[in-house]
Amino acid sequence: MDNRLSAKDFINIGIFTALYFLLFFVTGMIGYVPVFMLLIPALCPFVAAVAFMLYLTRVNKFGMVTIMGTLLGLLMMLTGHPWTIIPFAIGFPLLADLVLKAGNYRNWTSIRLGYILFSQWLMGLVFPLFFMRDSYFASLRDGYGDTYADTLLSITPPWVFYLMFILVAVGALAGAYFGKALLKKHFQRAGMA
Amino acid sequence: MELITSANRDLSAFPLDPRTKILLLLCANVVIIGGGFSGTAGIIRALFASFPLFLLLLERKWRAAAFYTLFIGTAMACEILLLQRTAGIWNLLIVIFSGIFSRFVPGLVMGFYVVSTTKISEFIAAMERLRFPPALIIPFAVMMRFFPTVKEESAAIGDAMKMRGIRMGGGNAIAMLEYRVVPLLISTVKIGEELSAAALTRGLGGPGKRTNICEIGFRLRDWTLCAIAVSALLIWMMGGTA
Amino acid sequence: MIELKDISFRYGKGERDTGLSHLNLTIPGGQVVLLCGESGCGKTTLTRLINGLIPHYYEGKLTGQVLVHGLDTAKVPLYQTAATVGSVFQNPRSQFFNVDTTSELAFGCENLGLEEEEIRRRLRKTIGDFRLEPLINRSIFALSGGEKQKIACASVSALDPQVFVLDEPSSNLDAVATAELAEMIRLWKSQRKTIIISEHRLHYLRDLVDRVVYLQDGKIAAEFTMEEFIRLPAARTEAMGLRPLSLEQLAKPSGNFLAPGANGSIAFSNLCFTYAKCRETLRIHSLSLSRGSITAVIGHNGAGKSTFARCTCGLEKKCRGELRLGARTVKAGSCLKHCYMVMQDVNHQLFAESVLDEVLLSMEREDAAEAEGILDSLHLLELKDLHPMSLSGGQKQRVAIASAIASGREIILFDEPTSGLDLRHMREVAQSLKVLSKQGKTILVITHDPELILSCCTGVLHLDRGQVAAEYPLDGAGVSRMLSFFWGFDSRQERQVV
Repeated sequence: MDNRLSAKDFINIGIFTALYFLLFFVTGMIGYVPVFMLLIPALCPFVAAVAFMLYLTRVNKFGMVTIMGTLLGLLMMLTGHPWTIIPFAIGFPLLADLVLKAGNYRNWTSIRLGYILFSQWLMGLVFPLFFMRDSYFASLRDGYGDTYADTLLSITPPWVFYLMFILVAVGALAGAYFGKALLKKHFQRAGMA
Repeated sequence: MELITSANRDLSAFPLDPRTKILLLLCANVVIIGGGFSGTAGIIRALFASFPLFLLLLERKWRAAAFYTLFIGTAMACEILLLQRTAGIWNLLIVIFSGIFSRFVPGLVMGFYVVSTTKISEFIAAMERLRFPPALIIPFAVMMRFFPTVKEESAAIGDAMKMRGIRMGGGNAIAMLEYRVVPLLISTVKIGEELSAAALTRGLGGPGKRTNICEIGFRLRDWTLCAIAVSALLIWMMGGTA
Repeated sequence: MIELKDISFRYGKGERDTGLSHLNLTIPGGQVVLLCGESGCGKTTLTRLINGLIPHYYEGKLTGQVLVHGLDTAKVPLYQTAATVGSVFQNPRSQFFNVDTTSELAFGCENLGLEEEEIRRRLRKTIGDFRLEPLINRSIFALSGGEKQKIACASVSALDPQVFVLDEPSSNLDAVATAELAEMIRLWKSQRKTIIISEHRLHYLRDLVDRVVYLQDGKIAAEFTMEEFIRLPAARTEAMGLRPLSLEQLAKPSGNFLAPGANGSIAFSNLCFTYAKCRETLRIHSLSLSRGSITAVIGHNGAGKSTFARCTCGLEKKCRGELRLGARTVKAGSCLKHCYMVMQDVNHQLFAESVLDEVLLSMEREDAAEAEGILDSLHLLELKDLHPMSLSGGQKQRVAIASAIASGREIILFDEPTSGLDLRHMREVAQSLKVLSKQGKTILVITHDPELILSCCTGVLHLDRGQVAAEYPLDGAGVSRMLSFFWGFDSRQERQVV
């Protein structure tokens, strides 16, 4: 088989990116219920995993995950999210593509690891909350004074960022298992995977 | 016949080239995330935060403009009036609200403006002019086309669930997710397969360069806005490093 | 000229369509050919060979050669075939790539990389030819199925191919849209294009087609000129499993007529519903249906048929009105407990991992023995452990019917249950409806299939602009009244020939 992405693959990439994004987005809405706020980084990759797992049964060529990530990044940019999403949404999916490629897009270990890596793209959304803020806080101090800046700093310590990395990974891993179970229970039996 | 040649232009009250919108979005994004609360930088940040407001007004999106004004006004009022007079949890909440949200909301509103006033064919034309590869343009076009499809399918499945008496709450969440997501994936993928076949018989995927008949182009107002945005960004960056 | 030389094809795994074996067919340029036969006879496969989707999209084992105007479709890539062969498919929803109509019309030409001016010229011509002005620059998602299909045909036409291949193009269309489709085909015919149509519904093609090819089990079983085909006795076409060529053949008395009030009745009163920002779209003052009756709901596109169905099912919470079931009175908003709809796209309403679970899911109290009884009555028992999505379209529909029975609801609605079905499958649906009626269910069928109505319905409800235009039993007079509704379009079509 040809290893270059074909027009049919491009269409599949578009469809699954749409599905992934909508599942991700709708799950994210639950985040407005404060209790779930902290669970969002784990919940979104968990729910959206089904789309990703099905995606891997439909396309299995290098570049598929990178393009998906890039599209997600572009979409986030267009809807006004911080530009830091772009390097995250290209970098992590590219790593995932490499890992998946190593397992020929079939090996279960590389699928799990690949999905964990891929899911980290969303960290680009919160990155500016925790980093790149030296200049931000310097100017904040100038403008509003120390107390304000210090309170703001104290509620977003960098370790929360690393904790979120772990939450994403846990959610993604659980999602990979859940997605695989659904594939087996439904899509394979329906002759679709 | 006027309609074809003037395609995509008539609906907007203040049409801009999509590339202009994207440039404004990018500049605003960098500046607003980056900060700037005093001196020139403060003025430039305020300038970029006000862009979406003016654009929304020009597009006669009154409701969105009003909400945005209300939001920014409240955030500023909190910062100025309440911050010094509160302590503890209230103080914390106000800091989160005015410090974090106001850092992201102008960008999001700008995004709302861009997405709600640009047709998908315009985005695609812009991407083609900006020399994006087909590997991004084709999936992007399909993705945008599938958002409404997924919504339609999801609504139909929701109706079917109601009719079958499968409801949220009560039951277990994982099973609900399964009932909701599995048929959605199955029917969307099926539509996708048929769409692929139809698109391929219409010549998608050929090696030659695609034409795009969607007319986009810079006008005076595009040049003006781009010039303002870029120079403001440059001043802001110099101020930041100085 | 199109030549198929000793073609054999078997699909790879995962496809349920039948292949072809040792098929030879030559179609001279400018001929209009109808491919007919029961579902699974291989006619769709044949269209896919001509437009190159086989072997480029649908994989399998292919021997023999297909030449379309000298082009070997198996060898040249699809984008090259696209300039010569234009294709229209069954499902209007899944054929468009863009979200607005103008981009969609230009899509094929853009792909071929034609000059911008040339594309505009072609668009102007296509829009003029097909009178598409009202549809230009609109969101495709806001169009009706018929309008979508019109755009699909026009966007193929803009490519100006020599050959048109249509795969069951009228499957999802109502009578008006089908008549418009016939118009478009007539235009292509007048331009001396070669046209190949695979179709179940034949009456709209009667004076368009030059040659009829009848397929059976992947082989050409018979060939006719249109004159010969029209003269075939009804018994013969029926034995071939074909739908009738004219509605006149249908006008035979029906034995379904049910005396009113025989088993009590179900009455609707003051059913009203308005969509947001719209005029009132549904107003039904009073309507009474006999228990166990099968009522066909007919009417034009936009007459309020689906709104009526949604309100009856309680899917529109804001619908006002009442339903009287014997002694009980139910508010329209809470009809969900009493009504069930078998949707047009049954894929939307199957959730479980096996056919048996699907039925159990609908029961108030799970009872496996009863569930198996229901499955047996619909000939589904041997499929009970399979995944519903792995079944054929007709089987899926019966699973949906089985879960409707299991839910124990009294009123069951069907939304276009026979669109795109051949004679045999249409009869199966009619049979299932009769089974339901015998069990005392009251049935409403939204349909534009007069044959289905004659095969099983007991009465007709004709809706127009959201109101009841007529309601009558299907006795002798009712049958001709119903047929004249559908005939209207057919005769209009004939006038245009003259």
